[in-house]
This record gives sequence, structure tokens and C-alpha cells, in this order.
Amino acid sequence: MISTNKLTKKFGDFTAVDNLTLSVKEGEILCLLGANGAGKSTTINMLLGFIKPTSGTAEIHGLDVAKNNLKTKEFITYIPENLMLYPSLTAVENLDYFAGIAGKELSPQMLTDFLKEAGLQEEAFQKRISTFSKGMRQKVGIALALAKDTKVLLLDEPTSGLDPKASNEFGELLQKLKNKGVAILMATHDLFRAKEVATHIGIMKDGKLRQQFVAENISLPELEKAYLDTMNYKEALS
Amino acid sequence: MLRYNFKYELRLLLRSRWIQILSLILLVLFGFSTFNGIEKVAKRKSDISIAKQQVQESDEAMLKLLDSVERGLPVSASSWTIPTSPMAVGNYHPRVAAMEPKPMAFVATGQADLFTHYIKPTVSGDDFALNFTEMTSPVQLLFGSFDLAFVIVYLLPLLIIAFTYNVLSAEKEQGSLRLLASQPISIRKWVFQKLILRFFWLSVLVTLSMLIVFLLVGTETFEWGGIVSLLGLTLSYMLIWFALAFLVNLFVGTSAKNAVSLIMLWVIFVLLTPSVINQLANTLYPMPSRTLMINEMREHKAEATKRQDEILDNFLRDHPEYAINDSTQSRNFYHSYMASQKVVKEALEPIVDTYEQQLHKQQKWAKKLQWFSPAIVVQESLNQLAGTSTADYESYRNQVIGFAETWRNHLMTYLYNNKPFAQQDYPSLPNFQFSYIANATIGLSVLVLLLIAGALLAFGFAVQGRLQKRGLLSN
Repeated sequence: MISTNKLTKKFGDFTAVDNLTLSVKEGEILCLLGANGAGKSTTINMLLGFIKPTSGTAEIHGLDVAKNNLKTKEFITYIPENLMLYPSLTAVENLDYFAGIAGKELSPQMLTDFLKEAGLQEEAFQKRISTFSKGMRQKVGIALALAKDTKVLLLDEPTSGLDPKASNEFGELLQKLKNKGVAILMATHDLFRAKEVATHIGIMKDGKLRQQFVAENISLPELEKAYLDTMNYKEALS
Repeated sequence: MLRYNFKYELRLLLRSRWIQILSLILLVLFGFSTFNGIEKVAKRKSDISIAKQQVQESDEAMLKLLDSVERGLPVSASSWTIPTSPMAVGNYHPRVAAMEPKPMAFVATGQADLFTHYIKPTVSGDDFALNFTEMTSPVQLLFGSFDLAFVIVYLLPLLIIAFTYNVLSAEKEQGSLRLLASQPISIRKWVFQKLILRFFWLSVLVTLSMLIVFLLVGTETFEWGGIVSLLGLTLSYMLIWFALAFLVNLFVGTSAKNAVSLIMLWVIFVLLTPSVINQLANTLYPMPSRTLMINEMREHKAEATKRQDEILDNFLRDHPEYAINDSTQSRNFYHSYMASQKVVKEALEPIVDTYEQQLHKQQKWAKKLQWFSPAIVVQESLNQLAGTSTADYESYRNQVIGFAETWRNHLMTYLYNNKPFAQQDYPSLPNFQFSYIANATIGLSVLVLLLIAGALLAFGFAVQGRLQKRGLLSN
């Protein structure tokens, strides 16, 4: 569903992503861990076609993103760190608009069903987004993924700034989508949440994927140690 | 995508109060400017009507006087004002040569605050010296007129700039652009649709506001053809500004930079280009001095006075028809004066021609370069629609000069035949009827404005593709 092959992005002399090869299949969640500037968001930007890779390829649902950018977006739902919707529209209206321009015509009943499934409380359906917390906006994003019957979910720091309860609810929603066969790639700093939701975990540093684990084969303390070791790798070398 | 953009754009505009604010602003601007225009037209009509009333009263007095003279009754009037003399009729009972306002005159003041709208050419007056200018306050000229054309040409683009400068940049700055761009849609098409929808809603507001204002303010001269032309010009001019906003949204970046770029375009197209073209026209084709013309006229008159007998003999030799029915062969001051007037006129013709030629060259130059600024095209077309363009006033001037000639020739037949003017001759006195030049270029202007807008939009589509390849959404 999601794959990259020797994906590289250079900004002048700086290499943001360096020969990245990864794969996320249906029903898998790959959490990419790494410090700021590790190349996680740049990878997501290339998967969305926002940035052209310097070399290598990124594929969504078997299609080269660079060559079939609009087509690949039919399979993708993207939730950035701060999901910004139209503040003067209600949750139902935002969902109707974004699903509509993506080509999904939804009845009023379907709109409320998707919002309900995404865990949004019913009394919030007709409220304007300007009154929503970040967690509530993320739920509208998940409802959009459900409405689009998405195959690929790209998440960029989705739990940063969420309180533990909202973060936990968000993790549960990801599990739901995973069980529906969605391939999920999540860039995050949150080791705990990564361990909770991921099927696979990768640690990136300086644009390279330094380590990769099957989530169930590693404990949280081991993950933390591996993460810190990777982060200190350069210092250790020197 | 269009259906959903259509469905939600109006909702977003209503909730952000844009529609309400724009409606209010448009109603106030159109209302005030139309009211101003109508007031000016009313004043013009009233001036013409008073002048015509004065002529009517003067004619009634003339006919009474003629009746008394013809019945041999004593009259209490100076001998030179008794209308049995054709020169008394020609000088003291002139016709009104009026330029009646067009039905759409309220739209644009144009040259109307510089030139007079009625003249009474006399038989002994100098055609070339007919004064067509009005006493006008320089302060008023400095600020111009707050007419409908001013609102359309100058203010409407500013409203469009405020309405469109941040269509894409606001999405970028609020963070919603990345969510939008992650949908299977083309961002340039999305921006295009948003702007076209805003153009549509603004067009609806402009059309409704204008119609409401015209009905409320009550133009007596409501003319559907004119209203359609006015709307055609306004909407095509608006489309050009939306097309410019489309390009700026795609190519510039932040809201602040977009706003500054659009304001700069406004300054260039609305203020600078017309001023530069006007200045260049004046520099390249300067108008001859009016003082010089009057000085030359005086010199020629002085010269003619010295040679009056010779001039009159030559004149009669050239016009034997004037002597055929004249048994008296009596010649007085006016015979010589009228003959020398003709000589003076002929001598001054080259100077008057230079003035007209320079005016034509200036107009030709401005017409050629008007396409560099849509503002000039629209202003000129609105002036044409209102009948207040330079060409309209030139046409009026020529028609008045032509009528003055007719008036003089009609009465000169009486003068040189020494035939007294009688009551029975009154119905055959010539009258002035002004006819406006046709508005043939308004349709062409609308077409060219639409083509320019189309070209700008096509350019945006053609070039923006390359920008997207460079990673428009990379930050």
C-alpha cells in the first residue's frame, strides 16, 4: 500500500531524506520515530506529492506518486499535526465539503454516521469548528478517512498536544482503521503511543531509517533505549 | 468539486459577513454616485431649459415688435435692435444650440464639468472664438467627480482586491491548504473555481445594487440598452481584476505580499498609465496657444478694418447673388463687417486647423495606447455611454460651428439684399438639432476586456503547472 524505494530528498547540500526504503501493507501501522529534522515530515510530503523527490520513488497503492499524483490522493487521507478545517463551518459541513471535493457524495445520514463512528459526540455535529479542541478536529479527520473509504492514512505528529485521554481515544480509532485494512504511516515523537498502536516501528535520524522493529517484539523500555542509542549514535562515534 | 465549492462558498462568505458588508458598501457607493450624477444632469437640463425659455420669450417680444412695425405703430426700442434688421435678429434673438444629455448621462461626468452644454451663436460672433468652456472651480476639478464611472473604474477594483487577495494565501496561513491539497483536486483549479464563484457573487451584488439604486433614485431616463452596456462594461472590467487576482494568488505568496502586489497593479493600471499617456499626448502633440489665436484674430481684424471697402467689393464680386434683388445698393457698417469677418475667418483657418489636428492626434494617440490600461478603456467607454467623451464634445463643437454658419448665411441673404426681416420669415429661421455620435466601440471594448481577462486566466493555468512541479506546497 505504501512503499518507498531509495527515496531521497536534498535541499541544496542538506539531505533531508537519504535512500529511504520502507513498506507499509494493508492493516499495518508504521510509526516513524525521530527528532525534529530527522526527515519524517519530508517523507510524508513526498508521499503526498507536495515535494518532488531528488531521486528514488514513492508509491501509494502501487502507483508512483510523482507520476500519478492526483490518482494516488484518492486513496490517501492526511492528518497533519494541526488539522485545520473551516472554522465557520460545522463538523457536518466540513466533512461534507472535504469528502465532496474528494468525489464522495454523502447523504446527511451518512455524514452523521461517519462522525459518530469517529467518536465525535452528537451534540458537536452542528457546532462550528471554531469551538472544537484539537482532539475533536482530529476526529473529524478520521471521519473523513472513513467517508473516503481511505486505503492509506498519513499522520504527521497527530497526538502532539493531545491530553492523554484524547491521545488514547485517537489510538483506538487508529486500531479501528487498521482492522479495516488501512495502511497507516505515522510520524511521531511519542514512543509510548507508537508502542501502543504500531505494528512496526522505525527510527529515523539524519534522513536515514536507522532501525526498524516489529512492535510486538520489543518492549517500551527496549524501544526507548534503542531510540536514545540511535539519537546518540553520532556522539558515540565521535 | 465545483458543486461543493458553489454550495459552501456562499455559506462561507455569508458567515464571514463579506456578502453583507459588500452589499452595504456597493449600495452606498452606487447610491451616492448615481444621485450625484442625476443632480448634475438635472442642473444641465434646467440650464438648457432656462435658455430655451429665454429664447421663447425673446421671440415673442420680437414678433410683437415686428407686428407693431408692420402695422406702422410707433415702437419704443433702439433702432439697431428693431428686428426688421436681419442683424438685430441674428445678434439679439439667437437660437439655443444645446447639447441635450443622453439617457445615461448620469453615469460619467467625463468632460461635462469642463464644457458648456448650450451656446447662442450670434450672426456677428466669431465661430472659432465661441467659448465652450464653463466657469469651473479648480478645487472641484482637482478632486474630480464622484460619479458612477469613478466608483466603477477606481473603487470597484479596490473592493475586488480586498475580496480576493488572500483566497489561496489565507488557506496556507490558516493551515487548511495542506488538507485541501491532500485531496485529489488540482489546487489551481480550486483557486480558479473559488475566484470565479466570488466573481459570480460579486456580479450578482453589483447588478442588484445598481438596479435597486436606479429604481430608488429614479432615473427618469431609464434606458435598458444603456443599462446592459453599463453592466457589460462593469462585469468585464471586474473579470480582469479577478484574473489579475488569480495570477497574484498563484505566483506571489503571503497575504501581505499579495495585497501589496495587487495595490501596485491598481496604481499602475488606474493611476499611472492614464497619467503617462495623457502627459505624453500633451508633450508629443501640444495644443496651440489660445492667447496666440486671439492675438492673431485681433491683428487680422485691425488689418481688415483698414481695407473694408476693398474687402466688401471683393466679397460682392464673389457673391453676385447678394446683389441681384437689391435695388437700393445701400451699404452700411454690417455689410463691411460681415465681409471682413469672412476674410478674418479664412486667415485664421490654419491656426484653428492646427488646434483640431493636434486634438485629433492626441485622441488617436490615447486611443491607440488605451489598451495598456483596462481602466482607460472602461472610463472612455462609460464617457461614450454617457455622451460626455472628448469625441462627443468635439462633435458638439463642430455641429455648433456648422449651425452658426447656417444662421449667419440665412440672415446674410437678408442683409446683402437689403431685405427687411418680417413676421412671415420667422418660421423659416434655422434651428439647432444636436445629434450624438454612435456608441459603436462599447461592444468592442467589452469583447477586448473579456479577451484580456481570458488571456490572463489562460496564462495562470499554463504557467502554474510548472510552479507545482517545483513544489508549491513544500512549506
